[in-house]
Amino acid sequence: MAYVSMGEAHRRITEYLNRFCDAVSYQDSSTLCRLLSFSSNSPPLLSLADALNLFQDASSSLIRQSDKFSEYGEILAPLFRSLQSYRVGNLVEAYLAFDKFANAFVQEFRNWESAWALEALHVVCYEIRVLAEKADHKELTCNGKSPEKLKAAGSLLMKVFGLLAAGKGPKRLGALYVTCQLFKTYFKLGTVNLCPSVIRSIETARIFDFEEFPRRDKVTYMYYTGRLEVFNENFLAADTKLSYALQYCNPKREGNIRMILKYLIPVKLSIGVIPKDDELLQNYNLHEYTKIVQALRKGDLRLLRHALQEHEDRFLRSGVYLVLEKLELQVYQRLMKKIYIIQKQSDPARAHQLKLEVIAKALRWLEMDMDLDEVECIMTILIHKNLVKGYLAHKSKVVVLSKQNPFPKLNGKPVGS
Amino acid sequence: MNRRNRGSSSSSSSSRVSSYGNRQFSDNRRTQSGGGATDYFRRRSDVPVKRNNDKDESDNKGEDHTDVSFIVGTCSSMCPERERVTRERLRDLAVFERLYGNPSKSSTDLAVKKFCRTLSAADVQASDVRPLPVLEETLKYLLSLLDSREHPFEVVHDFIFDRTRSIRQDLSIQNLANERVIYLYEEMVKFHVISHKRLQSCSGTSISPMHHLNMEQLAKTLTSLYNIYDANRKSDSTHENEAEFRSLYVLLHLNPSSGVMGEPLSLWFRKLTFALVKSKEICFVRNLLRLYRMGNYKNFLSRIASEATYLQYCISEPHIREMRSVAVQYINSVCYKLQPYSLLRLSQNLMMKELDVESLCHGCGLQTCTDSDGFTVLTTKQSTFRSPEDKFKVYDLIGIERMKR
Repeated sequence: MAYVSMGEAHRRITEYLNRFCDAVSYQDSSTLCRLLSFSSNSPPLLSLADALNLFQDASSSLIRQSDKFSEYGEILAPLFRSLQSYRVGNLVEAYLAFDKFANAFVQEFRNWESAWALEALHVVCYEIRVLAEKADHKELTCNGKSPEKLKAAGSLLMKVFGLLAAGKGPKRLGALYVTCQLFKTYFKLGTVNLCPSVIRSIETARIFDFEEFPRRDKVTYMYYTGRLEVFNENFLAADTKLSYALQYCNPKREGNIRMILKYLIPVKLSIGVIPKDDELLQNYNLHEYTKIVQALRKGDLRLLRHALQEHEDRFLRSGVYLVLEKLELQVYQRLMKKIYIIQKQSDPARAHQLKLEVIAKALRWLEMDMDLDEVECIMTILIHKNLVKGYLAHKSKVVVLSKQNPFPKLNGKPVGS
Repeated sequence: MNRRNRGSSSSSSSSRVSSYGNRQFSDNRRTQSGGGATDYFRRRSDVPVKRNNDKDESDNKGEDHTDVSFIVGTCSSMCPERERVTRERLRDLAVFERLYGNPSKSSTDLAVKKFCRTLSAADVQASDVRPLPVLEETLKYLLSLLDSREHPFEVVHDFIFDRTRSIRQDLSIQNLANERVIYLYEEMVKFHVISHKRLQSCSGTSISPMHHLNMEQLAKTLTSLYNIYDANRKSDSTHENEAEFRSLYVLLHLNPSSGVMGEPLSLWFRKLTFALVKSKEICFVRNLLRLYRMGNYKNFLSRIASEATYLQYCISEPHIREMRSVAVQYINSVCYKLQPYSLLRLSQNLMMKELDVESLCHGCGLQTCTDSDGFTVLTTKQSTFRSPEDKFKVYDLIGIERMKR
């Protein structure tokens, strides 16, 4: 902390107070945003924090002394306390005070008729979430305590959401941003089951079109709701939402695109859409999917198993493991097709007959030892789920393939049952 | 805002005032199971511990913690005196509680505290709540009734179902979450799992709702158990039976449309510790999950028969049933019409007796017949397949004799 004289401290605090009150009086949202954005760690805010730490509680008296400032005393006093604590690294304190400030600010926002301060409200929502995460992280690593503040931040965000969603016009349009903050909170906490009620509020809005929301918010919204569909294995819905997010995401935001692709790729694979080369995976550093895609192209079951094992932890954490595991049947289909093609080359007249013995041999080469009963079982699955067209002559221990299109493509639909 | 303030962690404090905010006592805990999230020993409670005489108040500035402590129960019998007397008067005694069958007389050896749905803070007294040793004795007594042959199983189940719920309630009120409590919860889970199986072979119109309620409580008890495992976890350790009890959750949720409460498995797996993910039991059920989702009836059934524990088997029974119907369905739809399928062979693949397979085929609306060599066969490509009507019919699984109960 740099040395600050009392006089200088007094000056800085008064200047901030003036700017705050003027911003409110003149409805200057962008200035207000800058004044509240702790996480930006801007020099003016940091130097204000130093000044406050010198002044300590006397800053409250500064607020009370002037009529102009004391009007916003309930907002300013906790804001100052928060900033002071934030500056010295006392994150729990900083969060608690910010929470008080936020509540007071929301109260004031309610009283302002127009939505002029919407952007500033968004800043408050963002800041409280980020501050809560930092506080929880510190509590966890230093004291082993479980996340509490983020849950509380979630409650405040819910309050703001309710306020905006019930509002009209521009206020309503601001609700989607807060929804996204809520999603981020719930995903971080793992309380993803709380998302549906929020989603319902957004999606049953008949007053206007989803398309009227700001683009950035729509992309984020579709990303999170798409991820929820992935968890619930609704692949068609997941495809729609994640594809939307991909389509409208700012192409310069490569990190975001990568995040979307991380979930979209398993979904696409599940509906039979396989990339022709590895360019996409390489460009976006998604190497964990390389072997999976290869396995699908080659019908290599061993490679699939290997790929799943290699990145098991990563896939489990992101929640795509079960989706990728389910690709096994498609890999089987590809393998059967390969056997058929090889047979066609050597003995075209009998190529459409796949002997179970031959399939078992192929599987043995892939280090999968199966008795004929199990091979038969797999074939019945493939035929029933329409991955292979034909029938099983089980006494003759042979699968007879249909002459036409024996290996139907998925055509954008997940494997049926 | 969910104000779940907790009192002091050590139960060695002397007299404490019991004051509660707006808490509703139920055994439905909403804390998240955060397996492995911390490296430190911590309680089930989420909020940091605060004692009355703590001078350090830095955590609490700006937040009004009501200084909440938890009741320490003093009721020394299985049922609080005043409840027993009231129920005797009202003739509200279960058959097991009646002294020599007298509907208005019980005793301290027979009466067991009932579950009470809503409890307002004002009504709870320490004398109504049973401390841990009494709860342990109570559970032991209740489980001994399982062997009773005097009454039909539904009656036994109903009684134990309610009284164990009350035990969980008492545990919750006192916020007990230590190792001994783990054992109690494990026993209660076992009860629900075994009921899950036994209720299927009972008949009567009340069975289906009973079965459903039992599944519900099973899910809730499991969740509570997981929270307690987490609260008692030191670094990455796993409790003795934890892997098996975690595996039961996977088996309960094998079928996402079964309507069982809980989050999707993809989410659930995220929260397991590394040690749990690699444990034998979890690997086993993950494999079963893969086979189930694929429809691989052969491997699914043979693995359960050869590797499942008794508890795992009990929970898997609906899926065993399902896989067998699926097998019949698939074989009927894909096999060559001119080569009827031998039931003997089918029975081997489905780990069933041949007569049971025949019964299953008929249950699915398919006809069987005898071929020229005298073997019973299933002619395929019949169009009359349907899901079996009897949702609870159980056929033995060949190979389960090896399971320890």
